[in-house]
Amino acid sequence: MNIVKKFSVGAWITLAAAVLALASVIVYAVNIGSAGYFQNAAVTNIIPLCALAAAALAAAVVLGQVKLSGPAFTAMELVTGVLQVCAPVLLTLCLASLAAARAEGLGFIYFSNADVILEVQTPANLASAAGTIANMACLGAAALAGIVGAFCGLRKKER
Amino acid sequence: MRAKSFAPVMRGIAAVMACVLVLSLVGAGVADSFRTRIDDALGTTSYVTSTDADAARFKSDYATIDDMIAAAKALAVKEGEEGTVIMKNDNGALPLAEGGSVALFGLAAYAPYPYASGDLKAGNEDAVDLLQALTEAGVNVNETVRDFYLNKVLNKHTEEVPNRWTGELETQVAYDNIYVAAPGDMAEYQIVEVPPEKFGEMGAPADWKSSIDKANTTGICVFARGAGEGNTYAPGSALDYEGNATGKDPLALSDDELAVIDAAKETCSKVVVLINSGNTMVLKDIAKGGAHEVDGIAYIGVINDYQCTGIVRVLTGQVNATGALPDTYVADNASIPAVMNFGGGYYADYEIVGRSDDPRYPGVDIANTTAGSFGGSNTYNGGHFIVEAEGIYVGYKYFETRYYDCVMNPGSKANSAKGATQGSAWDYNAEVLYPFGHGLSYLDYTQTLKSVDVDKTPEGNVTAVVELKNNSGQDGCFLAQLYVQQPYTDYDRQNNVEKSAVMFLNSAKTQVKAGGTAQVTITVPTKYLASYDYTNAKTYILDAGDYLFTAAPGSHAAVNNFLAHQGKTASDGMDAQADGAVLTWNLSSLDKDTFSVENGTKVTNAADDADLNYWTGGNTVTYLSRQDWEGTYPINYNADVEVKLADSPRKDEWIAQLRGQTYTIRTDSPAAEGGDKGVRFDTTHIQYDQLSDVNDPFWNTLVSGITIDEAVGAVIHGGSRSDVLTNVDNPIVIQNEGVSGFTAKYEDEASGKSYRFNVHSQTLLASSFNPELAYEWGRVEGNSGLWLQRYHLWGTGLTQRRTPYNGRNYEYISEDPMLTNRMGCGILQGCADMGILNGPKHMGFNDQEHNRGGVSAYMNEQKFRETDLRGFQGGLEDADGMAVMIAFNRIGATNASHHVGMLQRILRDEWGYTGLISTDMMNNKYYFNAESMVMAGITQVADFGGDDNHITLGEGGVDATWEYISPAAVENDSALVEQARQNLKYQLYTYANSAIMNVSTEKVATWWDDALRNATYASGALAAVAAAAWVVLTVLPDKKKEEV
Repeated sequence: MNIVKKFSVGAWITLAAAVLALASVIVYAVNIGSAGYFQNAAVTNIIPLCALAAAALAAAVVLGQVKLSGPAFTAMELVTGVLQVCAPVLLTLCLASLAAARAEGLGFIYFSNADVILEVQTPANLASAAGTIANMACLGAAALAGIVGAFCGLRKKER
Repeated sequence: MRAKSFAPVMRGIAAVMACVLVLSLVGAGVADSFRTRIDDALGTTSYVTSTDADAARFKSDYATIDDMIAAAKALAVKEGEEGTVIMKNDNGALPLAEGGSVALFGLAAYAPYPYASGDLKAGNEDAVDLLQALTEAGVNVNETVRDFYLNKVLNKHTEEVPNRWTGELETQVAYDNIYVAAPGDMAEYQIVEVPPEKFGEMGAPADWKSSIDKANTTGICVFARGAGEGNTYAPGSALDYEGNATGKDPLALSDDELAVIDAAKETCSKVVVLINSGNTMVLKDIAKGGAHEVDGIAYIGVINDYQCTGIVRVLTGQVNATGALPDTYVADNASIPAVMNFGGGYYADYEIVGRSDDPRYPGVDIANTTAGSFGGSNTYNGGHFIVEAEGIYVGYKYFETRYYDCVMNPGSKANSAKGATQGSAWDYNAEVLYPFGHGLSYLDYTQTLKSVDVDKTPEGNVTAVVELKNNSGQDGCFLAQLYVQQPYTDYDRQNNVEKSAVMFLNSAKTQVKAGGTAQVTITVPTKYLASYDYTNAKTYILDAGDYLFTAAPGSHAAVNNFLAHQGKTASDGMDAQADGAVLTWNLSSLDKDTFSVENGTKVTNAADDADLNYWTGGNTVTYLSRQDWEGTYPINYNADVEVKLADSPRKDEWIAQLRGQTYTIRTDSPAAEGGDKGVRFDTTHIQYDQLSDVNDPFWNTLVSGITIDEAVGAVIHGGSRSDVLTNVDNPIVIQNEGVSGFTAKYEDEASGKSYRFNVHSQTLLASSFNPELAYEWGRVEGNSGLWLQRYHLWGTGLTQRRTPYNGRNYEYISEDPMLTNRMGCGILQGCADMGILNGPKHMGFNDQEHNRGGVSAYMNEQKFRETDLRGFQGGLEDADGMAVMIAFNRIGATNASHHVGMLQRILRDEWGYTGLISTDMMNNKYYFNAESMVMAGITQVADFGGDDNHITLGEGGVDATWEYISPAAVENDSALVEQARQNLKYQLYTYANSAIMNVSTEKVATWWDDALRNATYASGALAAVAAAAWVVLTVLPDKKKEEV
């Protein structure tokens, strides 16, 4: 567990971002797998992009703990940094794609006219909409955590 | 502070800016798709209207008339290439051997149907018939046979014949012997094919047989069947060449035709029969195992000016054969369950509907007898009815589902004798000769479904990728067909929801290199996977279970793929091995919600009263169900059951419907009179917002100015052209006929050239199975409208071919609603993209021309929604179709043009259709009821009148047709008058969006467009700078950094 002791605040935030990204995948899968409006309404590449982002964040945390020196250390810093930058971008892309795909449906469920609102706002559809909103919140939090993590180093400074 | 400490900050800034960049890029796309709503919310304007003549919204794709003509010809040739279907090909009969000869037999070989120009045939000077096309392709045509047929048998000449509509004499092409082009109204049909035994007395050379080099000659026999408006074939009505009744089906090959085939077989080494008909024929005698079996059979549809060139390219193998059958070919038409209820008959007490005290027509004796196809007598014409008890099981959906159940569900009594015509037990392979979607390719290929994605949202699509593998050594074009099997569940059985064991979804074609593979993506709206549950959920449902998808060369191959996937083999009764890929999409629970609302409208039953059981109050009708094929097989409800109006618990309501009394004009609600509202139908008032939204307040303001007289008058006297309305100043729009395109002649003053663009063949387009070709035709048709300066035509037919006997089948696409749907979508979108109103005919079950002006077609709502209407849905909901013509007949007891459920609830509300709705030709004022048509949403009643948009033109200032209609009679019914104005609103809105107005709008950047764009550039630049700074700060050595 020595390696954990060397985690900086940035590492913990980045790790939290990775966990949130994985949670997003789970929420998304549950949402499109459950009865309701968004059942089977897959959004292209959400799962691979999220998974990639989570992997990038986790990799950044791990690589950030590796003790090297010289050019190898610099190369490692660059690789880790690229991962820290790319991961929130991927998560933001997922969030934007999901929001774009769901905007019409959410409008339909929450803002249909009075003639059909009872028909539309079934428990299943409302649950489905809530699931999608939770999915977006999860992705947003993951992206935000990833961005904050990008401002931070991943290893405690040695005194 | 050391510079290195800034590196993480730069990295963080790069991350933030890159995220902003992503958001602005994706956000710009999203914002664009919600542009109108954003404009409304922010008060911005994204479009400006240009009135500059050079900035027309719709411009022809062709710079010159020569280019336009070339495009029309090329399209027609392509229809021949893609629509020719090789049904049978044994002994290498096709393609024709290079350098070989042919001998042409049969009247249609030298004068393919139709031989006369008119609606179906353009008749341009450079038209190419089959003989010419073969000759131009270098095929040697036996001259002895040719000359005998041309000079002794047909003897082409001209005759003066009276025009059907005007009675004026016209010069027309005629022949001494020719097939009957119009079968008449369930009359006897003479098959005028000259039998070889008559050849001698007709002057055939004694050595005509020996003139044929048998070893090197293929006999090609061409047989035609006519068709036409007001025409319906009658089963068993065939007469032979001599005029003697044979008792045979007129769509079966006659003994005389078979004798011609025998003569060809005697004199030629191979024989190919070409079927030149829009009506599915009975080919048992010449199919495999038939007494007159031939080597090859090909379907060539109904031919126009240039299709023969394409057909011959297929026959000679210049192009691969890619056409497929849009209908099932059976051994006996009596095996078709829909034929059990065809033609119709009277209710037992139909007379009680007739009366002499109709308050609308005082002193007039109005009968309830049938009238001619074009009207005539004083009658409600509500005495005849048919019951479409087959439900959804039309065409292959019956034959393939019953076959599937023979294998999978023997308990359903699928193999009982009921419905069998070829033996004591029902046997698919004895009943069906060639299935839907069948078509042989010259080049060996396979089609494999690689992936399928189902987006189960109201606007979602099924997206399938099909791999086509060309196993031959020659490049070629290939056809991929996508089929689905929906789950058939206990819920369905309990609630009488029927499911076909296989359903066609869509198709596509592509070129594939020799030995290569190519992938095609086929999409279709997911909503078509849903079934209509009219008994319980009363809306569209998606059942729980596995949805199986496959790509296959026809419906039968598809259903065999499903059976094999489900573990069945030949030992279970399958008739072939099947190894086609089947992919599954699973739905875990019954979904009654996703498709229960459409365009903001709750989808629920709209035609309960179309069901005869609604009126009889019992279970008079048993609908065909796969739960029990034997017990539910249709009986004839005209002969086997006595249906009495007087016995109905809803007797008065039923009789009122049959009298057309579906709406009573009110007298207690004064309507507002029109007047000058300060707006007009012009480019000053009609800008982008008005063009894009029929609910823009402008339109209500505009039509509120229409006077009561003109509002009602313009609807009920829609005529063959629109009239200029006071206070509106709308353009006059002339309607045009032409299921094959505009029939009007183009006259080029500069060059003196003239040309007709109605060169299309609906039948060959249908058998092309190519929605892209349908779009191409629609676009060519639209372009021709721009050149002709005609903007509105009744230019296609999308009614389902319920039986082979309908005389209008040549105008329609298929027995299958989805093939019709996809082709209609293409045709109407092509026209709409050129600003041309192309109205498909005849929405609402024009299933027979016999007594079309009044026959009641009874059915349940699943059939109502999933058969004929589905055929129209693609063009009118999924595409931007702008016009539609309603069928003549009744749906249930209600005139289709009075049917509020179909026209207002489904067409306008569910489908969101904003185009115009016309009746068919109003021929009987006792059947077509003025106020009922207005209330149903008809925008224009079709008649021959012009400049007659008033209800004051009759004697005494009343309406000239419906004497009980007058300004005084309607002025106290605000609902009626306002509905008339609403109907005209849709008409005017459609004109504004067409090439009739032809103004263009330009997109301009709003401040929020600028903001998004600037955000993209700025975030991109900052991300790049920050990233670069981070790299530099990271890479530079510590020492150097300290120096910095």
